[in-house]
Amino acid sequence: MTAVATLPDYREQSPAVAERFRKLKQRPVVLSVRGLGKTFGSTEGTVTALQGLDFDVYRREFMCVIGQSGCGKSTLIRILSGLEQPTSGELLLDGKVVHGPGPDRGMVFQSYTLFPWLTVKQNVMFGPKMAGRTGTAVEQEARQWIEMVGLSDFENSYPFQLSGGMKQRVAIARALANQPRILLMDEPFGALDAQTRAQMQEYLLQIWKNIDITILFITHDLDEAVFLADRILVLKAKPGRIDEIIEVPVPRPRSLDQAIDPEYLATKHRINELIHPREQRGGGGVEIPRMTMAGDEVE
Amino acid sequence: MLSRTGKSSKKPTSARTPWFAVRRDLGAQRSSLLTTFSFLLPVAIWCLVSYCPFIWHPDVQLQIAANREDVNTTFTAGDRVSRDYFPEFQEAVRTQNVSIRERRAGGETFSSRANKKLLRQVVPIAIANGWLTEDQATDDEAIYGIWRDLATGEKVSTRPELTDENLAIARENWEIMSAASPTYDSDQYPTQPFAQMIPQGAPSNPDYLPPPHEVVVMGIKEFQREVDENQPSMTDRLAHSVKIVFGGFLISCLIGLPLGVLCGTYQFFSKLFEPFVDFFRYMPAPAFSTLLVALFAANDAPKVALVVVGTLFQMVLVIAKTTRLLDVSLLEAAQTLGAKQRQLVTKVVIPGIMPNLYNDLRILLGWAWTWLVIAELIGVKSGLTELIETQGRWRNFDRVFPVIILIGMMGFFTDQVLAWLHRILFPYAEGNQNRKPSIVGRAITWFPRWLVAAANDRLPPDLSRPRNHAPEPADNISLDKIPS
Repeated sequence: MTAVATLPDYREQSPAVAERFRKLKQRPVVLSVRGLGKTFGSTEGTVTALQGLDFDVYRREFMCVIGQSGCGKSTLIRILSGLEQPTSGELLLDGKVVHGPGPDRGMVFQSYTLFPWLTVKQNVMFGPKMAGRTGTAVEQEARQWIEMVGLSDFENSYPFQLSGGMKQRVAIARALANQPRILLMDEPFGALDAQTRAQMQEYLLQIWKNIDITILFITHDLDEAVFLADRILVLKAKPGRIDEIIEVPVPRPRSLDQAIDPEYLATKHRINELIHPREQRGGGGVEIPRMTMAGDEVE
Repeated sequence: MLSRTGKSSKKPTSARTPWFAVRRDLGAQRSSLLTTFSFLLPVAIWCLVSYCPFIWHPDVQLQIAANREDVNTTFTAGDRVSRDYFPEFQEAVRTQNVSIRERRAGGETFSSRANKKLLRQVVPIAIANGWLTEDQATDDEAIYGIWRDLATGEKVSTRPELTDENLAIARENWEIMSAASPTYDSDQYPTQPFAQMIPQGAPSNPDYLPPPHEVVVMGIKEFQREVDENQPSMTDRLAHSVKIVFGGFLISCLIGLPLGVLCGTYQFFSKLFEPFVDFFRYMPAPAFSTLLVALFAANDAPKVALVVVGTLFQMVLVIAKTTRLLDVSLLEAAQTLGAKQRQLVTKVVIPGIMPNLYNDLRILLGWAWTWLVIAELIGVKSGLTELIETQGRWRNFDRVFPVIILIGMMGFFTDQVLAWLHRILFPYAEGNQNRKPSIVGRAITWFPRWLVAAANDRLPPDLSRPRNHAPEPADNISLDKIPS
């Protein structure tokens, strides 16, 4: 508790960071969500998964969405990708309403979803091929994307021959090969081990820095959100709605060393408070009977 | 068998690994050893039962038979009688001989025709010993000579060895014969009643379990058309059966594959077709046999149709299920990559289910083989089954077994070859991922692999769209800035 008292307010921004956000908000809006709602009907009644969501994602912004499980994160990204239809509200991409899935919104799934019968290169070329583009130009382009994710030696390998991190890099390259307006990432590093995940996060930032791409990234990992995002959209459950949109005061370029900086910790602390409210902490109210006679106390 | 040993030969198969360890890999060497034994074991049991007389052998196979005047049933050499009945049979013939001798002493005479028939009792022994050929079975002059030789000891039967009792009877009969005429003379044929040799036999299994060597020999003969030259050869029969199985299976595939994939892909087709198909498959295919004959009348058509009825309905359901098992997230990923409805089917569903579909078809081909026998029985019997049916009816089981085994081997080896092809065609499929196909294998399968690759790679993705249009301006990609 004493440590918290010494943390700065997460809303305090250094002049450089404040300037960055001012410029960010002047950029054109790529994705605009207006009054988005989603209810699932079942025989036992209806469940409201999302209610009245309003937010904008600016061009080349990196936005993270975080929230407790069941708050509708996945529903949100599925609606954004067009795999689910909203029950109310609308979705604008570059100011135009979009329905259904399309190559203008690339998606990276937690479960890789690479086509097992295609090699790395064929996977990356899948999108262009669907658009009717073939030939050496497409192949050349695919090679560039593969080179960008550092898998040139594996372009003729099948997905089963790759590690989890490599598979997810192919998935990113495959999504980017379509040159989408926005890249939607649904807990893409959730299945990776901690080391690989940290590597992939730095990798993703490098890619993002060098390509004209806007990213909306779903995660349940506080550190991941704070490390990656410009802004973090915190969702509240039942019904899923926006709790707060946090502007991350941690300056860029980001590095793992910043994880002990006061503004980093303050942001993380704030999100923690939002998604784990104080009243919900402490074992969830379950009383565990003492079952040991050993004298030494652990706490 | 076909398993590659490359992988496990690297790590030494330690002798300390126990043979029985729950869900542990035994290693390539032990695996192939056990695979060999799984085939050797049944054959060994078959040999044991066939060649060890003390194990089963409930019957006696007659080497020498005899006629009984008071009984209607006649046995000839080669017939089997139960072990319990055999001594009774021998005793009856002995008693009969006693009465024959009394009648002979009383001056009774037999017709020369009846006596010739009695003397033909030695024909099976003569043939077994190679003294006579099958054609000489009614050559009474030769038979006359054989009785003489047996009595004088000039010829000694080894198959079977004659008992002293029977040798005495040979001498007794020859005495009568030589008194009438020392050489065969149809005018001076003896008319005194002859005694008969007492039946002799060897323990044997029932006719429905012929010993392995007989089955093998008969199988080889059958293939060389030595058994029955007026009948179609085994090769012709096999070709005919293969034609029916593969013909029926192919027609099933032509209808069942697209229908199954459609049912698995679109709920519309699933709800429209699957309930009825599900109902129909409970009606056994053979129930339709007469209907199919009425419908298709001629020769092979109803047979092929029966295989179709037997496999098609299962195929639709199995393939629909396989199609539904395709990971939905792959379809979702494809949609976010811009795949349209038609492309989802041609570029994701079909290539995605291919390895499982292939295995389904392997299993269904096995089904087709099981329908073969019933299919060939309907209408005009034909192919391998005709041989089973007719020879089985005559209890020539030594001719039935090679056919049954041949059908089994055909099915098994087709399946093994297909399984092996699976590894080469779908190297990415589960179970194939760590196996390296041999160079020979890759060479043989170059063409089918090229077809699969072409389907994945070279076909135009969508003809309705303009191809090779100018790529999007790539100015928003600046790869050179990426630090290595």
